[in-house]
Amino acid sequence: MNSLPAWLTDRRLSADIAPLLVQGDGASLERLAAEAQAITLRRFGRIVSLYAPLYLSNFCSSGCAYCGFASDRKTPRRRLEFDEIEKELAAMKAIGIGDVLLLTGERTGNAGFDYLRRAVDTAAKVMPRVAVEAFPMTVAEYRGLAESGCTGITIYQETYDPDNYRELHRWGPKRDFLERLETPERALQGGIRTVGIGALLGLSEPVGEALAVVRHVRHLCRTYWKAGISVSFPRIRPQDGGYQPSHPVDDRFLARMIFAFRIGMPDVDLVLSTRESPRFRDGMAGLGITRMSIASRTTVGGYHDPENAGTSQFEVSDNRSAQEFCSALRSKELEPVFKNWDPAYNGPICKEVAPCP
Amino acid sequence: MDSLKLGPYEFSSRLILGTGKFSSTRRMLDAIKASGTQLVTVALRRFNREQAEDDLLGPLSEMGGITLMPNTSGAATAKEAVRAAHISRELSGSPFVKVEIHPNPHHLMPDPIETWEACRILAGEGFLVMPYIPADPVLARRLEEVGCTSIMPLGSAIGSGQGLSTAGMLKIIIRESSIPVIVDAGLRAPSEACAAMEMGCEAVLVNSAVAVAGDPMAMASAFGEAVLAGRRAWHAGIMQKSGSAVATSPLTSFLGTD
Repeated sequence: MNSLPAWLTDRRLSADIAPLLVQGDGASLERLAAEAQAITLRRFGRIVSLYAPLYLSNFCSSGCAYCGFASDRKTPRRRLEFDEIEKELAAMKAIGIGDVLLLTGERTGNAGFDYLRRAVDTAAKVMPRVAVEAFPMTVAEYRGLAESGCTGITIYQETYDPDNYRELHRWGPKRDFLERLETPERALQGGIRTVGIGALLGLSEPVGEALAVVRHVRHLCRTYWKAGISVSFPRIRPQDGGYQPSHPVDDRFLARMIFAFRIGMPDVDLVLSTRESPRFRDGMAGLGITRMSIASRTTVGGYHDPENAGTSQFEVSDNRSAQEFCSALRSKELEPVFKNWDPAYNGPICKEVAPCP
Repeated sequence: MDSLKLGPYEFSSRLILGTGKFSSTRRMLDAIKASGTQLVTVALRRFNREQAEDDLLGPLSEMGGITLMPNTSGAATAKEAVRAAHISRELSGSPFVKVEIHPNPHHLMPDPIETWEACRILAGEGFLVMPYIPADPVLARRLEEVGCTSIMPLGSAIGSGQGLSTAGMLKIIIRESSIPVIVDAGLRAPSEACAAMEMGCEAVLVNSAVAVAGDPMAMASAFGEAVLAGRRAWHAGIMQKSGSAVATSPLTSFLGTD
């Protein structure tokens, strides 16, 4: 393996946040929550931006031990055709969604770049904001997605521990740790505006993972000055495959991690998905979290044809309808915002296929 | 009447409100009413023609007595801001545009180069252009030269609540500008809005300080009063600061006059 980039092990990049992650008493957690809330309020106000995932395909070429769509699972494989994508988008729009995250597995012949780009074209015709969580691409491919109206990419490193990474990613293109680690940079070089990163919590020792995410955020912000970075906090959920996390993360540590990130990185979007329970999501809204998924279906075709949508990538924990979730936010004096972007701003943010000057 | 003149428009209120960050549209509308403002800014990103409940343009358009100033928040380049201004004018019918170009989505500092270019184009097209800018006296004059209606330098970083940390630069800008100077961003308390008006600003723009207050209506009203007080004080002529005491009975009166 080539050597790890210097930023990954540069502790100075995360020195301010490390002490905040030390598990202390309840009072210290309460103090962090109050500070995180005050910063969130000041910087983002009383709003929570909403998005929803759209699973385009569950074909996959990789063997991730923790994923319900890994290529050795018996789950039936399916990809949405473009008329089906239109129906999914229409069903999502009917519940108000204006910000969609398009998902696929690792690159396959059935669901490769051309398919994905056409899906972005289709989505950008009807959705104000389109983002993609798919396979790593080249700079030129990311530029193509940006030109089609994709503003954001989500790409989790899963684990920042190279040894664990090798063990968990048993085969396929995702096996290359460094190739994946460098993917956010290729997306930004291609003109994608925002990159969402994160560690899949449960795979490796959580404090180390949290600090690696911090270093990654700061490295990207320093290198690409126009980059919008967001951080998600996915925890392993029950999935087809039955993987049990070796380093489970409890609610209190996850909350501490989110508070610490908000305090140390006051203007980065922090995202919480429907992997988490209604109780946890309602509690964390406004305490650092600024973006949340809503009414999510993690099956292929789950919005317009849930009866025939098949197996999910993982089990959703918050199954509330959009309306129920919005009511919960409003009861906390938070405004759910479905459209917080405009296609007027779509297009690559960099002029050339090269690092931003 | 001591009105704020922006192009052919006159406003009796010198407080401009932002419409983001509120806990609900209702709260936002109530705060606007309580503040007495007649000019509000709204982001194109928050126009939602497909879902009335999520839309800010509709309820603001229906509200009587206020003029809308769409803003280009989200734009990273002049080209994007110009495109956003065209769409905003089409949808809102307002001749005003608040040019906001911040390529870094984290600290949201305005890009002077792209802002100048967008303002040059939009002013040439007849928009009433109100650019959000760093507190830079040279840029302020450059923008006046290309035909901006006003300039809106920041008091401090947007959403920071650090008040008038750019006061020194603002004073130069106010002294040298022949178009209205409106402090935009960073104000936390009504006293800071009052201080900006005492300094000679023509108006102030506030959003976060009102939207995230415990009682946005009361805070909006307090800002309205503070702006008024500051303007009156500026008209009245504020006494100069002195480094030493000045005796009310002069010490040298026994020497007689020349």
